[in-house]
Amino acid sequence: MEDSTKTLLEVNHLSFRYESELVLDDINMNINQGDFVGLVGPNGSGKSTLVRVLLGLHKHYQGEVRWFGTPVRQFHQWPKIGYVSQKANRFNAGFPVTVYEVVAMGLYGKKGLLRFLNRKDKQRIHEALEQVDMLGYKKKNMGRLSGGQQQRVFIARALVSDPEVLILDEPTVGVDAASAQAFYERLSHWNREKGITLILVTHDVGAMTKYVTKVACLNQQLHFHGTTREFEESDLAGAYGHDVHIIHHEHDHHAGGA
Amino acid sequence: MFDINFVERSIIAAVLIGLTAPLIGSFLVVRRSSLIADSLAHVTLTGVTAGVLAGNLQAFWDINPLYTGFLFAFAGSLIIERVRHTYGGFQELAAPILMAAAVGLSAVFMSISADGVTEWYGYLFGSVVSVQMEDLWFIGLMTIAALGLLAAFGRELMFLSFDEEMAAAAGIPVKVFNVLLAVLLAIVISASMQVVGVLLAGALITLPAAAAMQWASGFKRMLLIAVIIGEASVAAGVTGSILFGIASGGGTVVTAAFILFATLLLRTWINWKRNRRLKYERHQGA
Amino acid sequence: MIFLEFDFLRYALIIGLMIGVVAPVAGVFVVVRKTPMIADAMSHTALTGIAFHLWLASYLVWLSEWNPLYTGILFTFIVSFLIEYLRRRFQAFQELSIPVVMASAIGLGVVFISLADGFNNDLFNYLFGSILTVNAADAVVIGIISAVSLLLFLLFYKELLFLAFDEEQAAVNGIPVQRVNLLFAGITAVIVASSISILGVLLVSALITLPAAAALRVASTFKSMFLYAVVFGETAVLAGFFASYYYDLSSGGTIAVVSFLIWTIIVLAEKVAGQRRQRPWKEAKWTDKANQ
Repeated sequence: MEDSTKTLLEVNHLSFRYESELVLDDINMNINQGDFVGLVGPNGSGKSTLVRVLLGLHKHYQGEVRWFGTPVRQFHQWPKIGYVSQKANRFNAGFPVTVYEVVAMGLYGKKGLLRFLNRKDKQRIHEALEQVDMLGYKKKNMGRLSGGQQQRVFIARALVSDPEVLILDEPTVGVDAASAQAFYERLSHWNREKGITLILVTHDVGAMTKYVTKVACLNQQLHFHGTTREFEESDLAGAYGHDVHIIHHEHDHHAGGA
Repeated sequence: MFDINFVERSIIAAVLIGLTAPLIGSFLVVRRSSLIADSLAHVTLTGVTAGVLAGNLQAFWDINPLYTGFLFAFAGSLIIERVRHTYGGFQELAAPILMAAAVGLSAVFMSISADGVTEWYGYLFGSVVSVQMEDLWFIGLMTIAALGLLAAFGRELMFLSFDEEMAAAAGIPVKVFNVLLAVLLAIVISASMQVVGVLLAGALITLPAAAAMQWASGFKRMLLIAVIIGEASVAAGVTGSILFGIASGGGTVVTAAFILFATLLLRTWINWKRNRRLKYERHQGA
Repeated sequence: MIFLEFDFLRYALIIGLMIGVVAPVAGVFVVVRKTPMIADAMSHTALTGIAFHLWLASYLVWLSEWNPLYTGILFTFIVSFLIEYLRRRFQAFQELSIPVVMASAIGLGVVFISLADGFNNDLFNYLFGSILTVNAADAVVIGIISAVSLLLFLLFYKELLFLAFDEEQAAVNGIPVQRVNLLFAGITAVIVASSISILGVLLVSALITLPAAAALRVASTFKSMFLYAVVFGETAVLAGFFASYYYDLSSGGTIAVVSFLIWTIIVLAEKVAGQRRQRPWKEAKWTDKANQ
């Protein structure tokens, strides 16, 4: 992926207010094809809000957000972006739906209205389940899986439409350290072998710096945006690593994704 | 022609219901279980139809169907708490399931009973002008019981409605008070049967409270506003019933619904204006 | 089958069987979308429409030749959009929209009935349903409505499923959430209103909610939930039909009671068989494929 530095996501002077509170303050960042970005920040730093703006779920922002060069308000190729919500496994456990049916949902938006899944799509669902090692569970009822298994099914649902970007919001919450490590390995593998761009949102810096190629530190403002090596050399690493809530250092690294 | 007694009876009945229904409604709305009132009202109908049927069959001595209605409402309120716990993720199914079963059973009882449809309409839609002295006694008794219980345990019930877990932690016997709330609700619904009818009792209980919640900053204030709205609604209902022959439940609930709609529109408008002012000030400040 | 010699009974049976399919199918979506009371709100609105028609017909004679049910369908259709709009427009309405619409609808309905002097047997049939009041035209109209609704459910199956399961994710995946919601509200409204002739305003929601609620407990896949719901629904409809014919019981009432019995039996059977086991599967580990 060395030669193609196509910019997938551009964020320019993005601000967002919730009621009258400023949640995001003048965010600037670019994400290129093939990046593995760790978006870190303490709880309540606006990470999830930023993700929701990127996904077009919050429409009343100021500034500019572009996916593949298109402003997010006019962007329609959402199947190119896979998203695993933080709330994903807080779904209704009584819902009578199988693992297969959940993963199939990931293709619905891509297929469009009035089109049904064909054999190729079904093949694709199998592949996605295989990618998360859940193929053996495809006929199981979703509500009877463990939290970690449900999380994987939701990742398979995000992968099934062959997205170019995968956004994961706090995917390792409630997962033990060993599983989390294996999970990061797998993400890293997809990033390197398939060239899939990853945005990993987390409040836990320690574990992921080994795998991500870029780090963005958010706490209302973007305090750092650069490569992982630069991040580790800066004193922010220690600060964020200890989950400090308010950071007043002005590290003006609005460098873009250079 | 103009019988002063029936007018007096209907006014007294309406004033009493206009007081108790919004009071208990406030607890339900705060507790986010306002749909329970509707389902319990329908269970009361089952009780009433069962009572009428029993009278038909002369299986029991002739009792006022309102009493069987109360009994059923009470049993129903206990059942609904049970059903709420059988569906993990789908708790909201409890109310409609009970409601459907209750109306179904009522319909079956009605079709067995020899009584004509007119008798049922009184119970369904309310007929405040046909309140008899005996009914008034029932309503009076129920009102005294409800007010007494509220006066004695209002504080605990408020705590419970606001935050059940905290109440339990504070040593309030949550189960006992949940049952108490259910009893109160059954009392109020069976008493309001003749004023607003089964199909509209739930509305008189929840709508004034829902409107009051928009204006009140504290719970006591909310109770006061809810009662004022409730009384205004029943006043309109009784007037419509006596002067124009409109079923009392209809006029009452349309008034309450109108007040709620007006409240929500007004609130939305006020919020919109406030937001605009905030935005303007921020703009000036920047 | 002596009773089938009567035309109206044949029509009633045909209508009942068709409704026994579409109402539980709509019910499956209504239940998993967690808005079971919406069926009640809609059927009460149909009563407003019927009452409005009866009142208007006391002034405009030509209207009395039309079946008031059609006005009911029209009202329900409009109000279903109104509910969706109110829910989106007013934050405070999120929880209140259904009870408020229901209350205002029935309140207004009662006022119209009073004005039309309509507290008679006809109204009673609208409230609790009757198999004696249907004719061939109703059977044709309800047949068309059923066929179209089923087709639409089939065509938009995947969007409706996704929306019910996770509305936010559906929006992220590019599903036109608002349009599909409106479509669903419209279909449900029409199904609810056309079920009124047999079931009655007060009992429509029974055939929508109860079979689906029972199916929810036994189904493990979403598709099988439809199958269970329809089987339960049809059983109830047939029971109601025969009870109504042979024992002169209320058809809508029997349908509701039988649906409730089915639900009760399933809940009890589950209790006897022991609670559904939660998480019986072992935690699977990520295999080390990344390092291959």
